[in-house]
Amino acid sequence: MLSLNINGQPHQVDVDPDTPLLWVLRDVLGMNATKFGCGIAQCGACTVHMDGQAVRACNLPVGLIGERRISTLEGLDNTDPVANAVQAAWVALDVVQCGYCQPGQIMAAIALLRSTPKPTDEQIDSAMSANLCRCGTYMRIRAAIHHAAGALA
Amino acid sequence: MHGISKNRIPTLFGLLAGVAFLSTLPAHAAHAATPPANVENGRYLARAADCEVCHTEEGGTPYAGGRAFNLPGIGVMYAPNITPDKTAGIGAWTDQQFVDAVRKGISPGWKHLYPAMPYPAYARMSDAQVRDIRAYLATLPPSSKKTPENSVKFPFSIRSFMVFWNILNGPASSYPDDPGKSAEWNRGRYLVEGPGHCGDCHTPRTLSFGLDSSKTLGGSPVNGWRAYNLTSDKLSGLGAWSDQDLAQYLSTGHADGHGTASGDMADVVGHSLRYLNAQDIHAMVVYLRSIPPLRTEADMVERKTPPAGDSSLPQTTRGARLYASACAGCHTADGTGRQSSFGTITGARSLGADNGRNLVQVLVQGSGMQTATGVQIMPHFTGGGLSDRDLADIASFVMTHFTTATPHNMEQAVRDAKQAP
Repeated sequence: MLSLNINGQPHQVDVDPDTPLLWVLRDVLGMNATKFGCGIAQCGACTVHMDGQAVRACNLPVGLIGERRISTLEGLDNTDPVANAVQAAWVALDVVQCGYCQPGQIMAAIALLRSTPKPTDEQIDSAMSANLCRCGTYMRIRAAIHHAAGALA
Repeated sequence: MHGISKNRIPTLFGLLAGVAFLSTLPAHAAHAATPPANVENGRYLARAADCEVCHTEEGGTPYAGGRAFNLPGIGVMYAPNITPDKTAGIGAWTDQQFVDAVRKGISPGWKHLYPAMPYPAYARMSDAQVRDIRAYLATLPPSSKKTPENSVKFPFSIRSFMVFWNILNGPASSYPDDPGKSAEWNRGRYLVEGPGHCGDCHTPRTLSFGLDSSKTLGGSPVNGWRAYNLTSDKLSGLGAWSDQDLAQYLSTGHADGHGTASGDMADVVGHSLRYLNAQDIHAMVVYLRSIPPLRTEADMVERKTPPAGDSSLPQTTRGARLYASACAGCHTADGTGRQSSFGTITGARSLGADNGRNLVQVLVQGSGMQTATGVQIMPHFTGGGLSDRDLADIASFVMTHFTTATPHNMEQAVRDAKQAP
């Protein structure tokens, strides 16, 4: 049995320590907000937070997590100003097209704004370019991150 | 290790005398009273000697053989099945036959082994220790998998020519501890030179494919990868590593600031070194520290450290933009592993040495390592829409962003790595 702290709640899971976190989230715990995209940490659809940093759940063995805190999209706290600003900006700029990659995009954007409250275009491109969107919403994502940063200022 | 006698061409008389001498050997040990073999010690030594990696085909049954060794100009050899199967494996061998194969390179029927099997190093183990390995192998499930026939070119196909090779480069023997050195040093020497057979990759070879004793552990290209200089030279060897970093690298395959073991070294850590106890790892560190420094230009690269937590990359070159989209997902902008420390790539050698040889190898071949927390994988980046030029640009960016290396002719390096066997 492994103990994981997910969205502030302790979870006991009976899995091999080399099971990727994404499988535990979706198949064991039924938390389906985090998406499966490529399975090899190349697309960012499965982005979650580990101690606040954006990580790829598909390539993170649960045995490596230990005491560190995991947050997923469904655990976002509506009293958290950054999460609220990002969500509001996403709605205001109508970022989403098909939506499949967006849970990962939103988690990556929140992690960026927590570490870099006023990111430049270059910092946004660096932080977000490993999150792929096959609808090509990149320009709206970048604009929405600036929008959220402005709202938080 | 005396250069003159080693390089003397053996005369036919010498050869015949050698054969006559060797043929008197086998009978004696069978009747000697031998203590019962220790299976646990055998398992530990089989791991220290890394038998499994070579004697297992990729994805195959452990120890059932079949892994191909492609030796340019010589041919292809297959590691044999060493499970206890009576026909396909070594189940019908006597203990003495097993000891002779491991320590002298002679298998039943006077069939000379090729030194892809590191018997000159294994000769440092005692007969009793090798019998323990046999006892452990005898506990494995037998596999009836037949080992493929070697396809070795003439004249290398004549196995008895190995008699000459053995006279030139041949098996050493177990030796007593050096009373002038600490017990740790002696244990470390035994592990490094004996079962560990580190020199088989890390020591350059002579024209006759023997180990060049003038450049012991001085680093060498192996299967397209660079096996680094392990001497105590500060600029190109291990001289600047802390004991702690070295012990951590050997036992886990990673030390921050030095990168992660990849390619064949990932197999060595994953199947061998990580099973050694802390005292033995420490003994290896003590011994490696005592290897006289040898400078190798190819490894003289220094690390450049981008500011930690730097979330922006210069987006001015193709390589930087490609790194941001293809690499930063796991290795982040400042080179720190996103998921785990195994993804922390910062380190001079791993990224810059020998014109980025291992960096290009890992981009083209990928790498995987067994760790205590599952397999750590770096996928290869060929066939996924990245061209040779893209990979070359990524390599050039990484080499100049994280190290002081000066990349040159990287597209050719990528093509060479793709064509490696």
